[in-house]
Amino acid sequence: MTEIVRDQTMAPAELPVAATGRDFRVPFGLALVALACVAPLFLGNYPLHAIIIALIFLLPAHGLNLLLGYTGLLSLAQAAFFGIGAYTSALLAVHFGTPFYLNFLAAGLVTGAIAAPLGIPALRLRATSFVMCTLGFVIIGQAIAKNWISLTRGDMGLAGIPKPYFALGPASFTVSGTVAFYYLTLVIAALATLAVYLIVRSPAGRNMIAIRENETLAESVGIPTWHYKLVVFMISAAFAGLGGSLYAHYLTVVSPLTFQMYYSTTMLIIVLGGGAGTISGVIFGSLLFVGLTEALRVAPELRMIAYGFFLLGLVFWFPSGFAPLIGRFWSFLEKRK
Amino acid sequence: MFYTIIEQVVNGIVSGSVYAIVAVGMTMVFGVLRAINFAHGEYYMLGTFGAWFAIEYFDLPYPVAVVIGVVATAVIAVVVGNFVMQRIVGAPAEAGVLATLGVALILQNTVILVFGGSYKFFSGGYIEPVTLFGFTLAEQRILIIIVSLIVFVGLELMVTYSRMGKAMRAVSQNIECCAVVGIDVRHIALWTFILGAGLAALSGVLTAPVNVSVYGGMGELITFKTLPIIIMGGLGNVRGTFVAAMILGIAESLVATYVGLQFRDTVGFATLMLVLMWRPHGLFSAQARF
Amino acid sequence: MTIELSRRGFCMGTALIGLQAVSSSAFARTEDGTVKLGLVAPMSGPNARYGAFSLRGAQMAAKEINGAGGIGGRKINVLAGDSQGTPVEGVSATRRLIDQDQVDFIIGDVSSSVTLAMQPVVEDAGVLLLNAASSNPKITYKAGVGGFKWTYRNYPTDENRALIVLQYAAEKKGFTKYAVLSVDSDYGRAAIEFTKKYLPRFKSQILTEDYYKEGEVDFRSVLSKIRDSGAQAIIMYGNADSTPIVGRQMMEVGIAGKIPLIGNAEFNTEKTIKAAPKALEGAIEAAAWLPAYESEKSKAFVDKFTAEFREAPNNHAYVHWETTHLLAKAIEQAQSIDREKVRTALSKIHYASAVGEVTFDDHNQARLPMILLEIENGKPAIKGAHSAEIDYPK
Repeated sequence: MTEIVRDQTMAPAELPVAATGRDFRVPFGLALVALACVAPLFLGNYPLHAIIIALIFLLPAHGLNLLLGYTGLLSLAQAAFFGIGAYTSALLAVHFGTPFYLNFLAAGLVTGAIAAPLGIPALRLRATSFVMCTLGFVIIGQAIAKNWISLTRGDMGLAGIPKPYFALGPASFTVSGTVAFYYLTLVIAALATLAVYLIVRSPAGRNMIAIRENETLAESVGIPTWHYKLVVFMISAAFAGLGGSLYAHYLTVVSPLTFQMYYSTTMLIIVLGGGAGTISGVIFGSLLFVGLTEALRVAPELRMIAYGFFLLGLVFWFPSGFAPLIGRFWSFLEKRK
Repeated sequence: MFYTIIEQVVNGIVSGSVYAIVAVGMTMVFGVLRAINFAHGEYYMLGTFGAWFAIEYFDLPYPVAVVIGVVATAVIAVVVGNFVMQRIVGAPAEAGVLATLGVALILQNTVILVFGGSYKFFSGGYIEPVTLFGFTLAEQRILIIIVSLIVFVGLELMVTYSRMGKAMRAVSQNIECCAVVGIDVRHIALWTFILGAGLAALSGVLTAPVNVSVYGGMGELITFKTLPIIIMGGLGNVRGTFVAAMILGIAESLVATYVGLQFRDTVGFATLMLVLMWRPHGLFSAQARF
Repeated sequence: MTIELSRRGFCMGTALIGLQAVSSSAFARTEDGTVKLGLVAPMSGPNARYGAFSLRGAQMAAKEINGAGGIGGRKINVLAGDSQGTPVEGVSATRRLIDQDQVDFIIGDVSSSVTLAMQPVVEDAGVLLLNAASSNPKITYKAGVGGFKWTYRNYPTDENRALIVLQYAAEKKGFTKYAVLSVDSDYGRAAIEFTKKYLPRFKSQILTEDYYKEGEVDFRSVLSKIRDSGAQAIIMYGNADSTPIVGRQMMEVGIAGKIPLIGNAEFNTEKTIKAAPKALEGAIEAAAWLPAYESEKSKAFVDKFTAEFREAPNNHAYVHWETTHLLAKAIEQAQSIDREKVRTALSKIHYASAVGEVTFDDHNQARLPMILLEIENGKPAIKGAHSAEIDYPK
């Protein structure tokens, strides 16, 4: 028996669209993309590394956004699917030497497929139990990674994952070095964002929002809520798996430490901090979050404490994340024009 | 063979008692605040640190240290309760998750910042082993079992007969009506929270002598053990949680012996997930609040 | 009004911190010739203790070097990076040290899985990585002629540790039946994997096998099981912090003094022995170093460290102190801080350490002995030191 969704979510209302025809968002977005393309010219390896991490985490964050921001389901399982994707890619690369796009796609497919038998029983649960169940996936995932030694080599992990390479007939191309990896990640992140955009703008996306706002009502107008929730759960998992694949190839090492609740909360913060239910918010959240953790490195002892205060600030002063701020920024520009 | 199983069950009851004291507090907090407190284990840690500090720097006897540990934690709980927990009342679930995670990070890392990250040695408590019916246990462990029973009975009595207890039940059943009847919801929420944190701290100081190690990150493990317990026991259901804690303690002990120690921590969540598949509302009805 | 102010303050604060991340003015390359040494270790997280000791060891060495006039007139500066014991943080910290702080040399990490992740990063950047504390043999299987030419390791590997412990237990104590209780990490698991390799040689067997997580506090169930299994010794490769707990609970369960601990988990430090003397009696350990080691240089180090930090040094403090001095020597011999020249000097070095002469083989692995000790009457007694030529896979 499904429960009526709470009457207040942290997802914001739609961002204000420009009143007149002048929409600053498109040129701004294009400028940002252009900037991203030339970034390696003026950024050193360390900032590029931070951006790569931000973009890698963007994928599972997009997935969580679809699940939480648009469909209204809070899940902590992203770390589990992230880990499954990472290990899938790693095992394929290390044992079979398959090219990158194969490992990448396999990670997404395997993770999405595994999410189905997990999601079917889990989605029957009430909100709180569902959250705990998803947390359970992460913990069980870590236990499996640690103890199924014949497959995963347990704590010793899988090291020496080869650099991503693409083979097209006779031609082959290896992604080597931070700058090359940056572009690879940028392209993948852009494609993922496009995919999310298409999903969200489609009728399916509107149905998801309907489920978030009032599930019983959605069902009564004929939306198959159960199917939607399951499919979104699987898609969300697949996104996390893809992110995990990139992660594995970037770090060249996977270990059971990939399955930690810390990553789930990271993705939760990115989504909620950026602005659940908005796409630009999630991108912003990802960059902000990684920027913040790296910046706080100067005082490592204080880093986690500051992080904690940041979480509190987020909850009490910015419950809809930074997205409304961005929205106000556009309106502000609008008014000035 | 039979003797070994009994021995492991006894071990299980001991660890179950530890979890029980923490978990009943956590479930009461949930009943009133509807918030999963990811920081609950940190109060366990704070209580232990408070007692350790009293013994290490002031050479106070153990019973006094126990009191200090609990009181110090209660004071911190007042601060956290006022600034954070009260605001979570009525807020969406994600708010509670993030806010309590934030609190956990702050508490954990402040302690590490102040006292350093190394493991401290807890000297104090009654660690002399005694033999009862052929089992050898440190005296402290028997104390833990006794205290957990006292706590359980005490809570039952309080909740059934005292004004405070009845108010708690009212808040957990129907918040809107409380205002009608004149119950100050925020006030009750705060005091329930302090009680819960205090119980967690008590569990910490009682267990410290046999666990020996005191370190800033010890609370996190407790949080992860008690979360499945309160779900299985039925959120807000004190009796159910007590039983669930005992069951988990025994299950963990048996798994550690017959399967392997490395699987012990998964027992909690694995059992939870199996239970949820079979009985989505928990082992004991969550409808029966308190 | 207050809410508005708080909101603004929050925004400002975040923006300021964010800006700081982008600016790199504070750490631009200085032309005064200071030698910048990066240290990557777990400064927070479950292994924070190891990181703290490592840093102190390195800092003490730096102070000694600078006090003696530096390396050919150049001062040495140690910059710490926090790996939190996880590979991704270790890589981030390494990247930051290389890119932002522009270090030429890095010593790190403690955990093998972190070191493994750091290797490709330093290789791409051409920065010298001197590992001082990771014991997984894979690190140097893949170094030197094995691939990563910028990785060096000044620490003995787990390969011969397992062998000499088992050998001593079988030959000198006559044990053949063991219970395993090791830490559930790459260290503990790998050590047991190596132990199993040598079991047939000594006609021994493992009766029960359990792994404990870092931070575990309840060993009673496992210890009762071990008590009833007939095992003659417990093979423990684990954490310093868990050993006192295990010792205490061994006393509770009744096996203290009857079933000794063998392996490596800081059995030899005073604090650990004091916590459960009966349980630690007769413990056998193979360590890279211990405070009781009998050599002038070692004793001098222990005294100085204890005086300065009011706490006895552990293994990690020593190895990082020693490796910092090793690096200084290499730079001195190269007569420059050019990375390539220092690397060449390191390959050919003959370094007089506190435990003997150190040279590197063609896999950039230092030839170091493992020291075997036994706890007798509450004190560690050194029973021998054992070196082994490593069998590199083809």
